[in-house]
Amino acid sequence: MTRMPRFTRSSLVAPVSTVALLGAVVLAVTSCSGGPIADNNPASSGQNFVGASYNSRYFKPGSRPSAPAVIGTTLTGKRFRLASDRGDLVVMNFWGSWCAPCRAEAPALVALATHFSHDPVRFVGDDVRDYSAAAQGFESTYNVPYPSLNDPGSQVALAFHKSVPPSAIPSTLLIDRTGHVAGIVVGGITYDGLRALIDTVLAERS
Amino acid sequence: MTQETEAAAAVTTESESESAATPDPALKPRAGRFGPVAWLRWGWRQLTSMRTALVLLFLLALASIPGSVLPQEGIDPAAVTQYYAAHPTLAPILARLSGFDVFGAPWFAAIYLLLFTSLAGCVLPRAYRLARSAKQPPPKAPRHLGRLPRSSRFTVTGEPQAALDSAAVLLGRRRFRLRTGDGWIAAEKGYLHEIGNLLFHVALLGLLGSVALGGLFGYKANRLLIAGDSFANTPTALDVFHPGRLVSATALQPFSMTLKSFRATYITTGTERGQPASFNAAVSYSATYGGPTHDYNLQVNHPLNVDGVQVFLIGHGYAPVFKVTDGNGQVQFNQPVPFIPIESSGLTSAGVIKVPDARPEQLGFAGVFLPTEYVTSTGTLASAFPAPALPRVSLVTYAGNLGVDSGPSQSVYSLDTAHMHRLAVLPRPLAPGQSITLPHGLGKLTFTGYRQWASLAITYDPGQLPALISALTALAGLLMSFLVRRRRVFVRAVTQDGHTVVTLGGLTRSDAAGGFETEFAELTDEFMTKLGGVSAPVAAPAGQAGPGGNPGPGGNPGPGGSPGPGDSPGPGDGEEQERQDGLEQPDGLEQPDGQEAALVQSKGE
Repeated sequence: MTRMPRFTRSSLVAPVSTVALLGAVVLAVTSCSGGPIADNNPASSGQNFVGASYNSRYFKPGSRPSAPAVIGTTLTGKRFRLASDRGDLVVMNFWGSWCAPCRAEAPALVALATHFSHDPVRFVGDDVRDYSAAAQGFESTYNVPYPSLNDPGSQVALAFHKSVPPSAIPSTLLIDRTGHVAGIVVGGITYDGLRALIDTVLAERS
Repeated sequence: MTQETEAAAAVTTESESESAATPDPALKPRAGRFGPVAWLRWGWRQLTSMRTALVLLFLLALASIPGSVLPQEGIDPAAVTQYYAAHPTLAPILARLSGFDVFGAPWFAAIYLLLFTSLAGCVLPRAYRLARSAKQPPPKAPRHLGRLPRSSRFTVTGEPQAALDSAAVLLGRRRFRLRTGDGWIAAEKGYLHEIGNLLFHVALLGLLGSVALGGLFGYKANRLLIAGDSFANTPTALDVFHPGRLVSATALQPFSMTLKSFRATYITTGTERGQPASFNAAVSYSATYGGPTHDYNLQVNHPLNVDGVQVFLIGHGYAPVFKVTDGNGQVQFNQPVPFIPIESSGLTSAGVIKVPDARPEQLGFAGVFLPTEYVTSTGTLASAFPAPALPRVSLVTYAGNLGVDSGPSQSVYSLDTAHMHRLAVLPRPLAPGQSITLPHGLGKLTFTGYRQWASLAITYDPGQLPALISALTALAGLLMSFLVRRRRVFVRAVTQDGHTVVTLGGLTRSDAAGGFETEFAELTDEFMTKLGGVSAPVAAPAGQAGPGGNPGPGGNPGPGGSPGPGDSPGPGDGEEQERQDGLEQPDGLEQPDGQEAALVQSKGE
């Protein structure tokens, strides 16, 4: 990559002056890890995926943030409104065809969608940072039975900015029948883990 | 720093501690023993000493070294994985010692928290004492003004009190702060010195606070954005995200941005040929979710400010577009792929293409993009110029298992070929529109064109403005305390042999800027004129020890003087104490009386 005008390395070689030390303090305290972001290697991917670490949260009824109105277009070109699923439990999975943990969890998600097909549970995907050919490839590889929003610009994740923004790809949100976020799984789901979470929310009677 | 000497005094052994002249009564151990409170105080004094602060500062610098030597989880997780592979025994030990997350390590936090406490513990009491010192009235006039660094003596007609009164008026006009006593006036000026000092200390605290504010509530992120694509400021849409300790995902400013186009121009002639001349990233953004969009032209050092968040353009490159049809005739891939520059003069860039949904086998490609292709004398491919004059890609083809279906996350910029086999396709440069047909009916790849990408740095630092203000204030305070000197003028008037003898003494503590000598001379002249000074001044040699400056031959101050007849002419204990009080300000950095006088004198004469 062409280096944008920056300090050259030689100009940085200076005696350990107070300034440098103060710089070290600033660096340290801001916990901005040593390397400047201008390191410019966007390759530090993996940052956004949570690999094997399984992390799920359940919000008790009454302390649930309300889910935003999500409107979008699915990968097959249909209009989608999150509110139209009100009354059902919505399982919203954020994924991308490029994301290895998403591919790993896909069979379990598909199995769960089939398992809950007779319950008031709707599955919906949100395909982020993806392109249509690759996304279609993913959908057909895993025979995904539920629709997915076409969301290359991460607008759906942004819509959740005041409630529970997903912090990694993949993430799976549970939205209860009143339109409140009941739980989130950050990172790849497991069949048993997500099933237990869905069962818990389904079992709630208001 | 006084604290240090106090602390050093406190470090004496138990038997000595009784004799250690600790000014703090609470530090005096009972029956020669340190109680827990005394130990705590001792510890606190040690912690807040300048020496400890310096040691901590040094430790901090030392502790940051592993952070730049070892790969860091937060910066490049892929490199950490590589390190694990290369050092299978060492890596887990380092991981346990937080070697891959140095700046988040408990021991690192311990150092900077201690440093923080040390600095705050040092600066706060100092600021308090400086504030008190700035409010203090001038000290009493020392008895023997002739011993002060500057002094002058002359006789006037009239009563001593009248002389003192007009001296008070004169000094008051010169905006001295006055204190009067029996037969003397003490005047002090230059409190701005103390105020500057105070300002500096408070600003230093402000700076610490601002840094903490930025560290706790600020964040930094990176995003590579291909022209035509969009992203939102939410964790999942950022390539690298370094939140401060107290940043929650809901605190991120909800803006979205689209890179409409990116244009780079380069110098085409001369020795600087190939150097970038300009970068323009035309973006449109919306500050809120679903809000109105605005256009902006992002340039280097010309960041966009959205809601306090700054978006910087920090890099650029090419994203060649590929279309891959698999063995079943399905188009499984049709998109731009960001290639990362591996050299800057020709912007040769490397990248990989992964087609995990290709059938019958997954496909992977690794290769380079050459903006302006040429073949070197040794027959290798290179790029002659960063602009896309003759864009070509050259790829190596693999088929097999990409390893992306089993779970562990993978960098999108590297290809794991462990379970893949290389296809026998001769790598040859492809021009836009050209294709590689894969053997064994595995499919076809077409290089359809290219787009450009821009790399953006997103930073939010709520401590930035307070830090700037603090730094400027600190500078102003420092200048003030350097340029303004605190100086004292004392006047005594006594009747002696039927005359009224006026003695003037002057003293400054830090005469870095110089000029007190002149000021004092002016003052003497003015006094003599205004007070009707008849006789010529009897200039007492400054700093001359002992009775040389004393009025009478016997050193007896005479009947008009304030001190009682029983006082010894030499520096009595009480008087010495008084002078100490007057000279040694709580500002512990100043020099003691004698050295100061010597310094001023050597400067003066």
